[in-house]
Amino acid sequence: MAGLLQGEVLLPEQLADLMGLEGPLGVAVGALLGAFIVGNIMLAMTGVAGPWAKRKITAAFTDRFAVNRIGPFGLFIIVADSVRLLGKELIIPSNADRPSYDLAPIVLPASALLGFAVIPMGDLGPLNIHLADPEAGLALVFAFASIASIALVMGGYASNNKYSLMGGLRAVAQNIAYEIPLIVTAMSVVIFAGSLQMSTIVAEQGATLVSLGGIDIPAWYAFVNPFAFVLFLVANMAEIGRNPFDIPEAPTEIVAGYQTEYSSVYFVLFYLGEFLHIFLGGAIMATIFLGGPAGPVLPGFVWFVIKIWAFFLFTQWARSALPRVRIDQLIEIGWKGMLVLSFANLVLTAIIVGVIA
Amino acid sequence: MSSDNQQPFVTDRSRVTTDTQDARLTGQDDRFNSRLREAFGSSPFILTKFDKFMNWVRGSSMFMLQFGIACCSIEMMHTYAVKHDLDRFGAGVPRASPRQADVIIIPGTIVSKFAPRMKRVYDQMPEPKFVIGMGSCTISGGPFQEGYNVVKGAEEVIPVDIHIPGCPPRPEALVYGVAKLQERIANGESAPVVVKPYELEQFGDLERDEIVDQLAAEIDTDDLVMRYNWADSP
Amino acid sequence: MSIELPETAGVTEQSPEELEALLDELVIGRDDHLNAPGYVIKPDTVVESLRRLRDDAGFDHLSCVTAQEYDDRYESIYHLKKFDDPTQEVSIVVPADKENPVSQSANAVFRTADWHEREAYDLVGIEYDEHPNLKRILLPDTWQGHPLGQSYDQDQPQVVPLREHKNPLLEDQRAASESETMYLNIGPHHPATHGVLHVKAVLDGEQVVDLEPDIGYLHRCEEQMCQNSTYRYQIMPYPDRWDYISAGLLNEWAYARVAEDMADIEVPEYAQVIRTMGAELCRMAAHFLALGTFALDIYGDFTAIFMYSIRDRERVQNILEDLTGQRLMFNYFRLGGVVWDLPEPREEFIENARDYLEELPTALEEYHDMMTANEILQLRTVDTGVLPPEVAKSYGATGPVARGSGIDYDLRRDDPYGYYDKLDWDVVVEDGCDNYSRLLVRMREVEQSAKIVEQCLDLLEDWPEDERTIQANVPRTIKPKDDTEIYRAVEGAKGELGIYIRADGTEKPARFKIRSPCFSNLQTLPEMSNGEYVPDAIASLGSLDIVLGEVDR
Repeated sequence: MAGLLQGEVLLPEQLADLMGLEGPLGVAVGALLGAFIVGNIMLAMTGVAGPWAKRKITAAFTDRFAVNRIGPFGLFIIVADSVRLLGKELIIPSNADRPSYDLAPIVLPASALLGFAVIPMGDLGPLNIHLADPEAGLALVFAFASIASIALVMGGYASNNKYSLMGGLRAVAQNIAYEIPLIVTAMSVVIFAGSLQMSTIVAEQGATLVSLGGIDIPAWYAFVNPFAFVLFLVANMAEIGRNPFDIPEAPTEIVAGYQTEYSSVYFVLFYLGEFLHIFLGGAIMATIFLGGPAGPVLPGFVWFVIKIWAFFLFTQWARSALPRVRIDQLIEIGWKGMLVLSFANLVLTAIIVGVIA
Repeated sequence: MSSDNQQPFVTDRSRVTTDTQDARLTGQDDRFNSRLREAFGSSPFILTKFDKFMNWVRGSSMFMLQFGIACCSIEMMHTYAVKHDLDRFGAGVPRASPRQADVIIIPGTIVSKFAPRMKRVYDQMPEPKFVIGMGSCTISGGPFQEGYNVVKGAEEVIPVDIHIPGCPPRPEALVYGVAKLQERIANGESAPVVVKPYELEQFGDLERDEIVDQLAAEIDTDDLVMRYNWADSP
Repeated sequence: MSIELPETAGVTEQSPEELEALLDELVIGRDDHLNAPGYVIKPDTVVESLRRLRDDAGFDHLSCVTAQEYDDRYESIYHLKKFDDPTQEVSIVVPADKENPVSQSANAVFRTADWHEREAYDLVGIEYDEHPNLKRILLPDTWQGHPLGQSYDQDQPQVVPLREHKNPLLEDQRAASESETMYLNIGPHHPATHGVLHVKAVLDGEQVVDLEPDIGYLHRCEEQMCQNSTYRYQIMPYPDRWDYISAGLLNEWAYARVAEDMADIEVPEYAQVIRTMGAELCRMAAHFLALGTFALDIYGDFTAIFMYSIRDRERVQNILEDLTGQRLMFNYFRLGGVVWDLPEPREEFIENARDYLEELPTALEEYHDMMTANEILQLRTVDTGVLPPEVAKSYGATGPVARGSGIDYDLRRDDPYGYYDKLDWDVVVEDGCDNYSRLLVRMREVEQSAKIVEQCLDLLEDWPEDERTIQANVPRTIKPKDDTEIYRAVEGAKGELGIYIRADGTEKPARFKIRSPCFSNLQTLPEMSNGEYVPDAIASLGSLDIVLGEVDR
């Protein structure tokens, strides 16, 4: 458990050390390099997830094989799909509102990538994959994640398509309704941890909750407060717009929602952005409820990746099995159900922590 | 079919007709042309390799347009779904928006009211795009050929790359057709583009009887649909 | 082993004379059809006559409106039935002037007449007075001539100008002033329309203010095709393509029934059993697809339930393929029977079918777990898309749509044909009137169909070998007498599938009119959706389970 705290030195400084650079310049170069590495890891993961893993997982749920002709297990489809999509004609509708039409697909993945900056991803060999550890880390990651809804409404509005517009507006309504329960639930974790700093939250979960037959169950907040975990899971699903809350896209209702008019590169960026947000959602879940990179035997980073892929698997499972709720029901669940429950959770947590401490 | 068979339905490359390949190289079909090629004017080694790679890419992975018309769309759904699983060939992701699709399967009879709409959907797809005509109706109008309202084949409206006969074709036939299309794309071929205008353009060679004259007076030439011009398409 | 007959005690049956007395001064002649008495009335007394028949004699089901052109006149025929007892029928024949074919609209009495009369205007050219919205329905607005009229020249040029199909996005569509609503085209290419339906929707935010289905994108001239084909063999392949969702045998039966009644052909009992079995297998396949596509509408992309329903369809289709030799377009019925016997070895076929039926309850259990027991699905479907029974009746809704609205109406029991009346099964009725009960009706009908198939298999297995007559002795050409008219319906997968045939003494029908259940069912969509949210309108459309091939024909 102490291994987690050893990584007080963050990735930029480590990189600067490795390159023998010092001072602000070293940190700046190290930060850029670190961001490059983390960003690429995340993009590579979405690259695997989007064209390949998603298909394979869905196929497994529906008794199919999915891609298996090109490459081992059809893995080359990743190359084929991405290159093909990038090589397609980029259509811009004649009355599109530029530049917001062009900005939207960039803002979406960028907002998700920014979020990864403050996530502690554990150590991989000598490196501690953690770019920045500001004191308000948790607040920052939610701030970054919620920029996504701006991208969606920009894209939806700028496309000059009614389906896109509806998708964009749905996205905003949904994000506002679920952002508050999401953050309020996260606050209950902050009460436990006593800090907004990500590394502290992770470190606090390192303690042993209970020892069962020699096996230590760590004090992950998912075990400490399962109720908050479930609330956060639901709100998170809505935040990233997956089933049963995928109404901003709702393929059978409003064609493809906000991305109806997007093709080629812009579509790829949207697609990437969506998957990055799923992974960011998983990363937040892992960090504040599942002990971050903690886990036995394997390096912390591997555990971290396993945890966010588990969340991805969960979203795909929900996608295969759950119907989509209606927009008004979604808002109702958000404002009348989730909000009340999350406040109740917050108050109860505060009381319990206050009494115990 | 065993799933480890990596290359199904491959024909002998040397026996494939090269007409369309030639057409492509001489610039008659610019669906495959890239800006790079235009810039260089000819085909240096690196570009031919690049083209080969792009052809492989386009032939290995395609998003289908979720597009149902008539009877054949039922068999099309079966092809996407369990048992036949078109996704094995990297061609099983139906997209609802034409902007994100590569291949449109035309599964059914096209009638006069629908033809312009289908044309619009086709126009909305980004290049390079491919068309699979599924079933007899897209070849000739099929069993409804003599109907007063039936367009006699999809080729009247949009260019078709592969025709799959049958009424309706079995899912196996559709899988074969898709695999064949993929093979053709990977070989750098595409169907020669033959599009007849679906509606009368300036009333062509029709007898100028009273009705035609009356219609000609009513409608100016800019006002006709289905005048398809490859160069001007968006 | 026989089903309970419906209680017809409450339904008084009127003799033709009583009806004539009821219509009294309105009747100007008789024109009896093979299936029902026909009364000729003047074109300006349509509303009055239909209202009397509906209110005083209980004919509350306007099954079909047929329009046709004779050498000397136009004619509209209103085929009336009773929901309580569809064997009681009456036809109201309305001749109209050849030069100026105008007839009164029945829209004031039966709302279903709206579309039926528009179709009659579109294809035959009769104009209906007092019709709220008389314009073309199946053909483009710019069409010249009425294709089923006698003077129509099929080779004349048809021009559809660009302005009809111009890109609606080309100009800025922002409403000029303080308009509160948004106009939205759903379809004809849209993932939720299950084909090529076009719905013109006016939205207020997410709510539907007004909704108008626009059909005709798959009008394949099925009636003309049948009119150009001979009774004996050429017509039979076409019905397969009306309701193409594997409901082929049910549709073929519609034609087989009407032609057999017309030509007086007795079908051997053995063939009837095979027909019943095949038809019910088709119904199962059709309902599975309805289930799957409904899931598509509610769940999103191609999800597990859709795949499962396709898996079960594949199995039914395999059995049907063994039986008929085709997966989708069976062409298996012949007038007077079926084309061939069960495949050899019989035991294997029967065993295959039994295996399937044995596993069916498990599969259905799975659907119930994943769909009907799912709380989110219930949230989405219960009390949405409500269709009250009176409205359903007025629109002539039939099949699972009517039965989901609590109307106990199933032609297999009420107007028995085939082998149904000797088997033990129930008519499924749910009175929730919403999307959920329509879904439930379909799922429970699958169970009933399985029950029927099981009994048929038992019968077929024990059938003595030398009594297996699969076809009656039918003459090579069939030429019904001139001016024989008949209207007959069967219970298709989507409801009452009726066919009207008028013979003219040749071996081809002079008028072949298809009464499609989906056509009438689709008409109820605005009733179900106005005021609801867009997703509910789409779910309602899914729960209607329309097939555009049958709507547009």
